[in-house]
Amino acid sequence: MPSFVHPGLLWGLGLLAVPVIIHLINLFRHRRVEWAAMEFLLVSQKKSRRWIILKQLLLLLLRMLAVAAVVFIVAQPLLNNQWGALLGGSKTHHIVLWDDSFSMSDHWADTTAFAEAKKVIRRIGSQAAAQGQGRSFSLIRFSRAALPADSKPADLLAVPLDGEFANRLSGVLDNLSVSETAAGPLAAIEAVARLFGAPEGENRVIYLISDFRAAQWQEPAELERRLAEWKPWGAQLHFVDCVSAARDNLAITALRPQPGTLAAGVELFLEVSVKNFGTNLVRELPVRLRQDDSQLPSLVVDQIAPGATETRRFPVNFPTAGQHRVVADLESDPVAIDNFRYAVLDLPLSVPVLIVDGAPQATDARFLALAMAPGGTVRTGIDPVVETPSYLSSKPLDKFQAIYLANIENLDQPAIDALENFARAGGGVAFFLGELSSSRFFNESLYRNGAGVFPLPLGNPLDLLVDRLNKTPDLDVSDHPIFSVFAGERNSFLGTVTVERYFSAARGWKPEADSPARIIARLRNGAPLVVERKFGEGKVVAVLTTAAPVWNNWGPNPSFVITLLELQAYLASPPRTTGDVHMVGVPWKLEVEAAAYQPRVEFRLPAGGPVTTPGAALSGERVTVDGTVSGAVLSATLTDTDVSGIYEAELTGVGGEAESRRLAVNVAAEEGALATVDASQLAASMPDVNFEFHAADSFQWTSRDVAGFSLSSGLLYLLAALLIVEQLLAYSASYHPPAREAAR
Amino acid sequence: MPGSRRFLHPEAVSRISRLELRARHVVEGFLSGMHKSPYFGQSIEFAQHREYAPGDDPRHVDWKVWAKQDRYYVKQFEEETNLRATLLVDVSNSMRYGSGPLNKYEYAATIAVSLAYLALRQQDAVGCVSFDDTIRAKTPLRSKHNHLDAIIRALEQSAPEQKTDLFGILNNVAESYPRRGMIVLVSDLLVERDGLIRGLRLLRQRGHDVLVFHVMDDEELDFPFTGPTRFEGLELPDALNCNPRALREGYLQALGTYLDEVRRACAQHTVDYALIRTSQPLDAVLARYLSNRLGMHHRN
Repeated sequence: MPSFVHPGLLWGLGLLAVPVIIHLINLFRHRRVEWAAMEFLLVSQKKSRRWIILKQLLLLLLRMLAVAAVVFIVAQPLLNNQWGALLGGSKTHHIVLWDDSFSMSDHWADTTAFAEAKKVIRRIGSQAAAQGQGRSFSLIRFSRAALPADSKPADLLAVPLDGEFANRLSGVLDNLSVSETAAGPLAAIEAVARLFGAPEGENRVIYLISDFRAAQWQEPAELERRLAEWKPWGAQLHFVDCVSAARDNLAITALRPQPGTLAAGVELFLEVSVKNFGTNLVRELPVRLRQDDSQLPSLVVDQIAPGATETRRFPVNFPTAGQHRVVADLESDPVAIDNFRYAVLDLPLSVPVLIVDGAPQATDARFLALAMAPGGTVRTGIDPVVETPSYLSSKPLDKFQAIYLANIENLDQPAIDALENFARAGGGVAFFLGELSSSRFFNESLYRNGAGVFPLPLGNPLDLLVDRLNKTPDLDVSDHPIFSVFAGERNSFLGTVTVERYFSAARGWKPEADSPARIIARLRNGAPLVVERKFGEGKVVAVLTTAAPVWNNWGPNPSFVITLLELQAYLASPPRTTGDVHMVGVPWKLEVEAAAYQPRVEFRLPAGGPVTTPGAALSGERVTVDGTVSGAVLSATLTDTDVSGIYEAELTGVGGEAESRRLAVNVAAEEGALATVDASQLAASMPDVNFEFHAADSFQWTSRDVAGFSLSSGLLYLLAALLIVEQLLAYSASYHPPAREAAR
Repeated sequence: MPGSRRFLHPEAVSRISRLELRARHVVEGFLSGMHKSPYFGQSIEFAQHREYAPGDDPRHVDWKVWAKQDRYYVKQFEEETNLRATLLVDVSNSMRYGSGPLNKYEYAATIAVSLAYLALRQQDAVGCVSFDDTIRAKTPLRSKHNHLDAIIRALEQSAPEQKTDLFGILNNVAESYPRRGMIVLVSDLLVERDGLIRGLRLLRQRGHDVLVFHVMDDEELDFPFTGPTRFEGLELPDALNCNPRALREGYLQALGTYLDEVRRACAQHTVDYALIRTSQPLDAVLARYLSNRLGMHHRN
């Protein structure tokens, strides 16, 4: 039995009675004629009676068939069985690719893009289910398709469209809400081929239900390539746009600490960036801030131009060590999810710093340690440890944020290796030279033609000639972060620093354009004084004079303390904080020392969705994960990081003591760009892809979508043939009125 | 003739309700167009002289009177009758049918009275028989002018009814009018064929000159009906629901066969047959009658 696109219209078959009724009405509408020459009429009637009745019956039959054909054409029949398969139709697989990225939470009036998408999916599901057997249905969300291949990618996977389907679909849809991911369509498009392969004997109707944001669809070269791969399948592709217009949206794109020493009790500056994705200027925008459980004064951004990002900084101060939470949020706008930004600051009681002095008196080291930790009420958060060079090779260096080497004469190879490994792994290293330092050792062991940790080849130590007439300060600093604090200061303490002796750079050395080394401060005579370079993940800064006021008078100068604290902040950045870098949907792989903790880890999730507020940050469910031990590392992975917020892992020490770790998970703020592309732009950017573009509210099912072999066109020909035969027969049965002249 | 002929058209004739006036209108209208006087007599007894009028036959000019008085007079003879014309008018139910201004009965009656008028004008004896299955009214043969009234009454009294049975009628007529004369049958001939032919033959055998005016309506001859139609027999009890166009061909064929048969039988028995449509002007009938009358005269 064929099925129908509009089975309700089959009631129209009642119209089959119309020709019969017309016939009966005509019986009553007979013109009455009193006729004299009945004899001849009766003869004629007797002669042709059978033939006339046969023609009349045939005519009635043809007319009823024509009416039936019209009804069937309107109801759009489809052949699904093996005959339909022979004719070209067969099983049909409806595949719905559903954008559930958080831009779909775009809300207007009393609906959201996501809710509109749900309506469309329900419509597709119910109409497909009404088409009967031989059909299946798959539902793939963008966010699920983006997960690793071994996880469940589809909410419905080739589910047969049977009587239970409507309930099943409804059950699935009711439980789904918009995700906080920024998952694009690519993964879902790839998932179709991965999950279902090439269609063999099945028609595919693929619906891509999305908001078609410009960020993802403006230049869809890769998408086009993937979609074009479906061409040989003969699949029908429908784009359903759930958003009627692009609305203005604001998002917090960053919340991170500025460079500085992160330690308990030390004032720290955080910066928060707000981007205006809209097309209108925004004025007087308040940004609410929270530090742990207390509210901070709100920031007010005076104005943000369309498309611009404004960054403001604000101070926080956590008196205790540990992982502290900072949350920034904006007032509600069309997309609420990107109005929140979370950060976790891991503050130690103090930051350990290693100072190695080559001289037994450790004069330089003392100056450095004093500058970093002056003592008294002043808290810098830095905990300097002064050691001899042998410490480098004998003790682990991991716990230090930075290592300062002053007046080094020589280092053994293990110490050099340890130092370079420390730097490569992201640690900061600073060199101060001195009388014990020799250019030969530095050039051969530490510089090694650029392969070593030292940033430049050294020449001989030189005296800076004193020129009484020249009032130029000895120090000429660049706008490097270390010296930025002095920028614009007219009477800087730096101006009073004098340098008498320094190590020159090797003759002819000049940092190449592509070299990692950079001169960040020079002497009055143009000779480099402070040179930095990147080494692996770490930063290395070389100051070509002494730390102690031996070759200069800098040590007692207040600018020395400031410079040193800035240097420390610079060497320690990027700060070892969690936060901005961890995106929604990326699993949290927690690694701790296996020997110290029990393997069971309990994760606490934040409450999801746009209702997330700082106070409810940890109100979500708990997930217990049994960690795996690999060597000395216990790792536990939380895969369920679908909502933004602050996650907490509760660890239990071997002695039973509880300890927690926190992770700030944020959304990809760029998803908040709500500009959309329209059908013509899509068509222009993807000329190789055949698709039909629909607006969600006007999405209409057509017979081509429904699978099976459509009989409509065949019926149309049949109807034409029926009408022609009917006319011929009617003419033959003399039902056509004669020409006027023939009438009389 | 065309100027006067339009007054002979059935539409014009139908406006005159009195049959007598109608007949006079028809005959006078007809005669006014003729160049030759229709009046002629073959009597032996002289009746009177009458001044010559154009159109009189010059043979009847009395040359002796001309010689005496130098005036043209024609001789008129007293003659009871020199022709006996019997008008047989079908007044059966089937004659009620008509699609034009006159139905067949009215047309037939007009023909009959006009012929009677014409005949009486020239001193012929005219009788009239109206019939359906039996003879409904009969007037004897008379040649007096006032006899026309009797004929008209006979026709008017006879509202058409019932089925035609022609042989019986013709037989009866043959018996009733034993002297040879002219028999004019005005009918739609929707009768049993054998009876008709036998009746005509009988009349011929009795020496009558027989003239048949077969009056048919246009619709009967052409069958132009369209659309679902219920035909109810005027004489037969049958009724037929049909699409008339489907039956037209068969009908015309059957009708044609019948007409051929009648025509052939008439020719065979030297019966003068004329198929008249009720839409035709009436002069055709009169012309036919007169030519027949002349022929008969010559035959006599």
